[in-house]
Amino acid sequence: MTASRLQHTISSSVVFLIAAIVAYISFTQEPADAFLFPRLIAIFFVSLAAWNFVRAITGVAKVGAGLDMKEFKNIIPGLAVMLIFVFFAAKVIGFYLSSTIAFMLIFTLYDPAPLNNGKAWVKRLIVTVCFMTVMYCLFALLLKVQTPSGILF
Amino acid sequence: MNRFIKTLAVGVTAAALSAGATFAADYPDRPIGVAVSYGAGGATDFQARIVTMVAGNEDVLGQPIYIVNKPGAGGRVGWNWFATEAEADGYTMSAYNIPHFIAQSIKGGVSYSADSFEPIANWGADPAVVVVGKDSQFNTINEMVDYAKENPGKVTLSGAGLFVGHHIAALQIEKATGAKFAYIPTKGGGAAAMKAVIAGDVLGGINNLSDAFRAQQAGNVKILGVADIERNTEFLPDVPTLKEAGYDVDNASVNFRGLMVKKGTPQAVIDKLAAKVPEMFAHARVAKRMKAGGSPMKIMSRTEVQAMWAKRQETLKELLAGL
Amino acid sequence: MEFLSYFGGVFEPTAFLLLLGGTIGGLILGATPGLSPTMAVALLIPFTFHLSPTQGLILLGAAYTSTVAGGAVSAILLKIPGAPANIATALDGNAMAKNGEGARALHLSFLSSGIGGVIGVLLLIFLTPVLAQWALAFGPSHLFWMAILGVTVIGSLDSRSFVKGLLSGCIGLWLSMIGFDDNLGAQRFIFTDSLAGGINIIAALIGLFAIPQVLDMFSKGRNSSVIEAIEVPKQAFMESLREIMRSGRSLSIGTIFGSIIGLIPGVGGQIAGLVAYDQAKKFSPDKEKFGTGHPEGLIAAESANNAMVGPSLVPLLTLSIPGSPTAAVLLGGLIIHGIFPGSDLFDNHPQVAWTFINSMLIGQILMVIFGIYTASWAAHIARAPVPIMAAAVMVLALFGAYSVQQSMGDVYVMLSLGVGMFFLEKFGFSAAPLVLGLILGPIAESNFTTGSLIANAQDGPIIYFMTGTLNLFLIVLVVASIGYSFWSNMMHGKMAKAERATS
Repeated sequence: MTASRLQHTISSSVVFLIAAIVAYISFTQEPADAFLFPRLIAIFFVSLAAWNFVRAITGVAKVGAGLDMKEFKNIIPGLAVMLIFVFFAAKVIGFYLSSTIAFMLIFTLYDPAPLNNGKAWVKRLIVTVCFMTVMYCLFALLLKVQTPSGILF
Repeated sequence: MNRFIKTLAVGVTAAALSAGATFAADYPDRPIGVAVSYGAGGATDFQARIVTMVAGNEDVLGQPIYIVNKPGAGGRVGWNWFATEAEADGYTMSAYNIPHFIAQSIKGGVSYSADSFEPIANWGADPAVVVVGKDSQFNTINEMVDYAKENPGKVTLSGAGLFVGHHIAALQIEKATGAKFAYIPTKGGGAAAMKAVIAGDVLGGINNLSDAFRAQQAGNVKILGVADIERNTEFLPDVPTLKEAGYDVDNASVNFRGLMVKKGTPQAVIDKLAAKVPEMFAHARVAKRMKAGGSPMKIMSRTEVQAMWAKRQETLKELLAGL
Repeated sequence: MEFLSYFGGVFEPTAFLLLLGGTIGGLILGATPGLSPTMAVALLIPFTFHLSPTQGLILLGAAYTSTVAGGAVSAILLKIPGAPANIATALDGNAMAKNGEGARALHLSFLSSGIGGVIGVLLLIFLTPVLAQWALAFGPSHLFWMAILGVTVIGSLDSRSFVKGLLSGCIGLWLSMIGFDDNLGAQRFIFTDSLAGGINIIAALIGLFAIPQVLDMFSKGRNSSVIEAIEVPKQAFMESLREIMRSGRSLSIGTIFGSIIGLIPGVGGQIAGLVAYDQAKKFSPDKEKFGTGHPEGLIAAESANNAMVGPSLVPLLTLSIPGSPTAAVLLGGLIIHGIFPGSDLFDNHPQVAWTFINSMLIGQILMVIFGIYTASWAAHIARAPVPIMAAAVMVLALFGAYSVQQSMGDVYVMLSLGVGMFFLEKFGFSAAPLVLGLILGPIAESNFTTGSLIANAQDGPIIYFMTGTLNLFLIVLVVASIGYSFWSNMMHGKMAKAERATS
């Protein structure tokens, strides 16, 4: 079994599992009238997921390159920043401050310029400040969106 | 005793929020949001936009009010959000629709009841009316009811959803006449229900007086009756009430619209809003726009609204008990 | 020809300034992630309080047309569709921008928007009485079949695998069922509070399209080679014009589907772009180029989007029935000024009605001029270095998703869907059919429920859903569409097999 085939098998079993859960909930919950449509969809969902699973196991599924481990390692730091930023920092620290920090972090993490390069830091700072100023003008001043201010800003 | 506990509770809350007093004095120091539980462009939405348009004036609240739409499931999504997630700080208000949210809370399945909210003031009252298409065989409400008695369950009536004012009116008509109707809730509010009547998808419908009045002016529908205690002399002086037509239907389905805050909002903030908001509703510019839009106004103070809520709660409990 | 005599009103100094302001403002608002045309028009309503009815409507009309086109800008440059209308634009438009053809994509998008838009408004002017009856002909049973017809194109839409396309569509249909059920108020699949309000379509769009893209940029790592800017060839306007002239097929497909779908109340412009894209693909000799930065798909999608604007106002202006959410907001804007759409509007306030319609016509042209003028400048955004782009799209996605309903729940849903979609895409699933399922699910369900209730009071569901010319016509289309999908899927399989055999 090749790596790609293994990955396809795993991914299709996850999709099948979701389909199975959806079907289980649809057919056990009441009132039945409200779940009529979910039940219809669940039938299609489960059959398609099963078909997809068989295709993956037999190695027919070729579409989709799968995950490359090197790429995946590259994603992890950025994804971590993103998850912390959205699920935690945005509400607790405040939208604008946490966005500034997250922007700066992502920029730094994926900027090829070395970390000990002073000029690169100045550039990062300027870009971040400019971008956040535009965001503030657009959302806070023009559109008057009330963002959670958290403990700071 | 009750009063003592209340005072104590208020005292404790104030002490807990040490900044409470200064907070109320400064209130409001930033714009206030109003969550509307219906989509942009609907009657509740555009009326809310009109009645709050002068909030930014120095002599009113001094801060503008902005509208956030949270539509879905006949208002349940918006009020559920308001009851569970909104902050009780007076910077988030919600527009209420009576009898909708009380009826929904009696039916259950939602996280709110009349006790979850504190009314501020009422701005409008929109009675439900019975409409039929312009080419309909029915010319009076009695003809429609007699037909429904001969053909039980065959007369389809569209309305904006389940357990909203329109549905309550339909239930009351069924109860008062003994005839059986097929009530069809449509997705997309009163506008979709009106479309179903004009297009002939249904034989008739229950709709808001203001929307029906416009559709009648445009020559698209006939209005057979008003589900209120008195005739509407301003817009529909010639249309009889259901009571005049001989059916015992009162004003329980009249759609009252107003503003409320979440329970737990500092008393000082509630008091300030309760004093200022009715003034805002009564502003000459607001009244002019509301009249131009064919929207009947009814300004009620906080105490009047509290009494109205309590009364509706009882009537609706009785009406919905058999369902 | 009555409308010609009211053109003067559009060119009065105040009115024309408002038209300009509405167009430019609409382009900016439309390009802002999270701000759909409906929200943008609703935001402008308070400004009209201080204007005369005619002036207010000019502002709203200009804003409506240009926000729809403005949504294409963020779809092309950032792959964040501003509204469901721009999903299909993002598919090929963003690929073009990534190939360094951002200016060309923007030029083509604005030109096809303008052409589709002008034709749409002309339909509104000349065929309104005929079209109004046609719009009313669609009852619940027909809308149900329309939605099913939409579902049948899921398998062929932007997916290289038929099974996975259908499966993506199923996931979308399921996601659309989350939250309170609209008819009975029952709670379905609500696992956390953030899902209680259901999945907001705009927030979902941002997550499904923008987030996988950000993660994709992350996956390149700290690699200095990727930062090299792509050489952007200068795009001459005349060249774009010539190209548009040669694209008669996709333009007419887009315009025809856009105007027909725009007319149907309740289905509205949400799916016009996607359906036109799918049809353009089916009729194109270069099917396999779609999704890789092929201008045909972009032209069909954008001409459909703006062609739908005019016809979508027909039921509003003649019968006072808003056919789309944006039309509902416009209705509110009219009522505030004491003007009731319907015969009253054309009989008693013709100057308001015709100036409004004319302003949309002029607005389309202004929109094209401004769009083209800023295109070469805006196209530079797509060339920003990868780390800046990734950070910017991430922050924009957060703000955009939040500002739809000012709710953190929407932001959580946005990110969760986006991360999930990234992994699904790696295995051949795609976002476009998923979104189509998300949009069509509620339309199919609510019309089925309403239709069944009416049917029970009449002659039963079989007669209600299966008889009548329009029902039968739609059923034939559904069957044909399913048949075509299977047939082309089989042919594709055979061809692939033959290829493998020969190689």
